[in-house]
Amino acid sequence: MKGLAPLFLGIFGTFAFSWVGLTVIPNWQIGHLNPQSDEEGTDIYPMPQSGMVTRGARVYAANGCNYCHSEQVHAEYAGADIERKWGDRRSAPRDYIFERPVLLGKMRMGQDLANIGARAPKEEESPSPAGSASPAPQGAAVSSGAVASAKAASPPPGTSPSPATAPATSPGAIASKPPTSPGPASPPPSKSPTTAAAGGTSPAATASPPAPGPPWPEQTAGLPPMYSAAWHHVHLYSPRSINLDSNMPSYRFLYQARRISDARSADGLQVTGSDAPPEGWEIVPTYDAKCLVAYMMALNQSHPLTEVKSSGAAPVASPAASPSPAPGVPPPK
Amino acid sequence: MNPAGIPLKEPSVSAAAGDTEQLERALIDASTRVPVLIFYTSAVAWLILGTLLAGFVSFKLHTPDLLSDISFLTWGRVRPAHMNVMVYGWASMAGMGTAIWLMARLCRTVLRYPLLLVAGAGFWNLGVFLGVGGILLGDSTGYQWLEFPSYAAIILFVAYTLVASWAVLMFRFRRGEQIYISQWYLLGAFLWFPWLYAAGQLMLFVVPVQGVLQSAVGWWYANNLLFLWFGAIGLGTAYYMIPKVIGRPVYSYHLAAIGFWSYALFSSWTGMQRLVDGPFPAWMVTASIAATILTLIPVATVGLNHHMTMQGYFPIMRYSPTLRFTVFGAMSYTVFSVLGILISLRSVARYVNFTQASIAYSHLGLYAFFTMVIFGSMYYIVPRLIGREWRYGSLIKLHFWASAYGIGLMTLMLLAGGLTQGTSMENPSLAFSESVESVLPYLRGRSLSGILLTVSHFVFAYHFGLMLFGLGRKSTVPTFLNPVEAEGAEVAH
Repeated sequence: MKGLAPLFLGIFGTFAFSWVGLTVIPNWQIGHLNPQSDEEGTDIYPMPQSGMVTRGARVYAANGCNYCHSEQVHAEYAGADIERKWGDRRSAPRDYIFERPVLLGKMRMGQDLANIGARAPKEEESPSPAGSASPAPQGAAVSSGAVASAKAASPPPGTSPSPATAPATSPGAIASKPPTSPGPASPPPSKSPTTAAAGGTSPAATASPPAPGPPWPEQTAGLPPMYSAAWHHVHLYSPRSINLDSNMPSYRFLYQARRISDARSADGLQVTGSDAPPEGWEIVPTYDAKCLVAYMMALNQSHPLTEVKSSGAAPVASPAASPSPAPGVPPPK
Repeated sequence: MNPAGIPLKEPSVSAAAGDTEQLERALIDASTRVPVLIFYTSAVAWLILGTLLAGFVSFKLHTPDLLSDISFLTWGRVRPAHMNVMVYGWASMAGMGTAIWLMARLCRTVLRYPLLLVAGAGFWNLGVFLGVGGILLGDSTGYQWLEFPSYAAIILFVAYTLVASWAVLMFRFRRGEQIYISQWYLLGAFLWFPWLYAAGQLMLFVVPVQGVLQSAVGWWYANNLLFLWFGAIGLGTAYYMIPKVIGRPVYSYHLAAIGFWSYALFSSWTGMQRLVDGPFPAWMVTASIAATILTLIPVATVGLNHHMTMQGYFPIMRYSPTLRFTVFGAMSYTVFSVLGILISLRSVARYVNFTQASIAYSHLGLYAFFTMVIFGSMYYIVPRLIGREWRYGSLIKLHFWASAYGIGLMTLMLLAGGLTQGTSMENPSLAFSESVESVLPYLRGRSLSGILLTVSHFVFAYHFGLMLFGLGRKSTVPTFLNPVEAEGAEVAH
């Protein structure tokens, strides 16, 4: 090449083309979205996040959770996300306008967390969540039943089908001895259905294959309701106490052992077995752990968006979850 | 810098015609000696650290309880630490070392202002050190390849400005009218990187864009870093080393020009294909997929050009370490690009998105292509800086085969594992955990390949250390991989 000008112009030109095309123009297009609201200006979604949630997002990023967990639900035509109950609809740009950092993730060594907060048991409104949650597990029941029949010809009678049949029969069927569950203070009768519901989703959505049977329901027995804040703490502290096959590292450095002075503190972890601290001690989450769990509980894309078609399979859950604008932001303990 | 007093390699050919040229080259090499060796030494040190971190990451992925109770050794921090050590510590520093030497040689001018470069290397090391420390202590930002906290990023940028301004100065003082194709790539790399890095930092941290665009900017950055920074340096180096070693001009300058411009145009538009089906306007993803497919043009032209240059000279790979590594790298570039095209197609992406296959892709690009080319260039350049030849041909051979088999095994394991994982994930009648369990055996296989790579890097570091301490062979004949028969001696380097 003779002249230098074409070389430099070309080098700058090609790069400018890419920069404008892939970052500047998209920024014009979707870089200034506003929350959506209904005609009266209420029912605003998404909502700005609390300080703890924002800090939790940073804890999540700093400890590299995003290298194994994505936070994006793909449309039905593009994957099994919705069938796996990871969400009712695909994720849209508007879902993320208050997220910082945005941790969409590129790897699924663990399940998608875009709606992990939406899967938490609803503790406040006792009648409605039970009613709203039950259709979802029925979908799960179908799929997990299919798994059971496809995978194991003869599942152990007592254990394996129980998550599938739980919503249909009695809430207590989730495990052999569920009422002993020392869950967080909450009236047991209204709580059990949600426990069952959450437990029912588990084999399809989460981790444990239903066919092998034994580990999951027995271990669920002594644990807080699935996907509740207390459950997340136990799971982060000792993943394999909840699911033997889990591949997640434990995050014990986010927790501290503390001598019990007067009474057990409210946020002490319900860990048992080999994870249990010595007599007179308890495991409590650090502030970072609490923020992290607050962040996860706030991950909730169940609110419908006008620009996205909610899936026909489980539309019931989203209107039920929507009335409270920010159900995912729980009072952190 | 005063070249006198530096133990130069004796010009091996003292035929009257080549005399001045030989002397000029020796002077240029001597002037680049200190800065390039500083860059190389730092790079090799980072390579060893990155290798140890990589082994740790790989084992922890299938043995999650290994040392997981220590905050700074948790998997989610060691993994970005490994990536950033390799990307900014090893690959960038070694790449800059090679690029500096190539620039000096191609501009046919002794290196001016070496202190600028030494300072640049120092700041760069400091930036990587602070960045990796920050990641391990829990300051990671969470954006792929931009995990360094801002205090480290600023230092890196200062360091980079020193190096790049030097490179442009160098170009300004060049002698001779011809601008060789390698210089295009190197100039491109030196000019693209600051824009890319600044744009990434600004749009993510200083005036952050809204919502998902952060992810788009992040992937745009990571992909362009791979292509426009590492890819450009790697291709520029290959364009120099292959013709140089076999003593034959590049097959076609027209092909080279087409390859360069189509590379700059198309590869810079890739990146969004990684976000396929995500919460983005579909046109962004489609544009990137189209651009990825169009990278077939540069791949074909560059590959054809290298192949035609090598035509008839492939047997030299039996002797020349530089040629063997460089040609392996150049071939891997083709494999890497073709794999990139395959996994960007929507029908395939469905099964490999969110799986280990994308790790295979990055390793093919950054290791099988770029790192191998850089190894080759180091085998060529270091003897010319030190005036000694590599001590053991057998160690170079071991290095090559351990690297080649290591990266080959790793790629196969991660690709096969990724496909298995993806097909299980796509099948909703299988529990999600099955997709994770199905990939674990492949991850153990990947750890095995990591052992091979660890061996190769330690061997290389040891050999490099010998050279650094002046324990290389004093000889006028380069070190060959295999004993050379009389007729091979002239061509092989």
